[in-house]
Amino acid sequence: MNAAALTAADWQVIALSLKVSGVAVLATLPVAFGLAWALARWRFFGRVLLDALVHLPLVLPPVVVGWALLLLLGPAGPVGGWLERTLGVTVMFRWTGAAIAAGVMALPLMVRAIRLSLEAIDPRFEQAAETLGAAPARRFATIVLPLAAPGVLTAVILGFARSLGEFGATITFVSAIPGETETLPLAIYSALQIPGAEARVWALAGVSVLLALMALAGSEWLARRHGGSGGRVL
Amino acid sequence: MLRLLTALIALLALTPPALAATAPTVLAAASLQEALTEAADAFARARHPRPVLAFAASSALARQVQAGAPADMFVSADEQWMDALAAKRLIVAASRRDLVTNALVLIEPAAGSTRLAIARGFPLARALGASGRLALADPAAVPAGIYAKAALTSLGVWPSVAGRIAAAENVRAAMALVEHGQAPLGIVYATDALASAKVRVVARFPSASHPRIVYPVALIAPINGRAANPEAEAFRRFLLGREGQAILRRHGFGPA
Amino acid sequence: MSFEHAFDVDVRRKLGDATVGATFTADGGLTVLHGSSGAGKSSGLAMVAGLLRPDSGHVRVLGETLFDAAAGIDVPAYRRRLGLVFQDGRLFPHMTVRANLLYGWKLADLADRWIEPAVVIEFLGIEALLDRRPRTLSGGEAQRVAIGRALLSGARALLLDEPLTALDPARREEILRVIERLRDELKLPMLYVTHDREEAARLATQTITVERI
Repeated sequence: MNAAALTAADWQVIALSLKVSGVAVLATLPVAFGLAWALARWRFFGRVLLDALVHLPLVLPPVVVGWALLLLLGPAGPVGGWLERTLGVTVMFRWTGAAIAAGVMALPLMVRAIRLSLEAIDPRFEQAAETLGAAPARRFATIVLPLAAPGVLTAVILGFARSLGEFGATITFVSAIPGETETLPLAIYSALQIPGAEARVWALAGVSVLLALMALAGSEWLARRHGGSGGRVL
Repeated sequence: MLRLLTALIALLALTPPALAATAPTVLAAASLQEALTEAADAFARARHPRPVLAFAASSALARQVQAGAPADMFVSADEQWMDALAAKRLIVAASRRDLVTNALVLIEPAAGSTRLAIARGFPLARALGASGRLALADPAAVPAGIYAKAALTSLGVWPSVAGRIAAAENVRAAMALVEHGQAPLGIVYATDALASAKVRVVARFPSASHPRIVYPVALIAPINGRAANPEAEAFRRFLLGREGQAILRRHGFGPA
Repeated sequence: MSFEHAFDVDVRRKLGDATVGATFTADGGLTVLHGSSGAGKSSGLAMVAGLLRPDSGHVRVLGETLFDAAAGIDVPAYRRRLGLVFQDGRLFPHMTVRANLLYGWKLADLADRWIEPAVVIEFLGIEALLDRRPRTLSGGEAQRVAIGRALLSGARALLLDEPLTALDPARREEILRVIERLRDELKLPMLYVTHDREEAARLATQTITVERI
């Protein structure tokens, strides 16, 4: 695969994929962290139910997730209708919708990674910090967050990879609109429908692999720079 | 993290509600991909904004219209879904027209030279050889497969090949099975066969052997106080007009 | 400030089927809380530190009421200014020795900082360790750093929970000397939990036996 084989349309697809995946992961991260925190640290009624709910996108066929998003966030749906009428915002058929679909699909993986790292933190370190004068917010910022950092990094990488490869929920929710929602997997699928477009399939698939490898390498570099202990993420 | 989130929300809120000022969004059945892309280019050359085209299975697109998709026009590969939308007043009834028709053909890999005439009781099973399978789009769910099964049933040969079907997820995937020699024969739309250099048409199915294969077009009814896009109506007229029909004809579609 | 005792403790708490607790008053110097294992010595210490909430009773340190069930007073652990030294050191693994030492120092009010980092580092002989990570330290080194960290947090008293248990005999001797010097040179009130009679005999200015309730 060489860069010369990529057309302007291909570059548009790649840029869009990076934007959608990047925004999906960054927007999902705080949500995933909150859920992971609740599941790892709190004992409350309905915790098992919440756990199951978080895992749904992992279990359900992606098209079902996309369909659920369609019903909920489509302009005829309860949330989507309200958004359009009151704020004039539509996420359906827009890159923001693609990012939502990718974020929802990435959520369970991200929650799992962060939750594991939170559960691995010995709560006695927080007790030690408490006796040294650290209020809850300070303990969170200086003890919990740094110790959970490898898990958060893993969550970001896994989430990014999952978002980059997201297909079923995206095409069901926001269709494949060039320049708006047609991300790499959708463009590959579309090229597969055209006889003789195999070259494009190979080129775009090659780009996908390359991006995934770059993300992995980047995370390794980050982990190493932040004091070895973070080590491998995958 | 909080600052980032705020920025994201701001970004989301800034995103304008329509795709572009005037370019209409057209949802179309996947089998129209090449033909409509060419038509859209021609439309744009006539000093119109180039329509934004989204291709997928008609069923998926129809569900998106039901969910209030911010799109202006829908071209379906089958009438059922268009009827379903019409029943819920999701399309502008007066704008519905039959855009084009399609035909079914029996295909084989390009290098082949099978001679087979399609008629009542024609020896399809024998033509498949001892172990070959007949490539079809899923006859249970996908329109192209449903039409193919109807044709074979009316010709009385379905029972002889029912156990030898290679069902694909869509008609292009079925054609790919023939292109790569995994199936010696397949049934696809005439337009698909025309688009591929790797298959050869063995014979055309008589149009009377299956329900009419028609592609209806309609404007999508605006909801939530959206304004109708006049360019969508212009593109609809263009497709139904002489130039648009000529482009569609070149890609193997028949007149409605 | 006038007060009768350095520590005035009377705490009870149900833990599972058992009730643990301790009632004692202790003056300055080093007070050993002694008793068979399972008697609730460590739980008592945790209740004094504020890490475990008593069901009833009170905790007064140097005249200040930190907990009083009847009066509804419960000062959170991070405002009690009691340095707790754990059995296992509990140095923060993601920070250098220096950052560990200064963790509580940076959080302490200026008025509460009664000892300088340089003095503590000198006192404990840990100058050479400052840039190292906790996982590279020996048990004795880690325990010295833990003691320094507690001193620098502005602690007005030290609570030590079997600080020698995890150490080999040579290291024990090293830390025992440090604790003796804390007692004799810094005159810091200390509560010291141990089940080792020799240790108790050597260190204690006062011994309190905690019985199972």
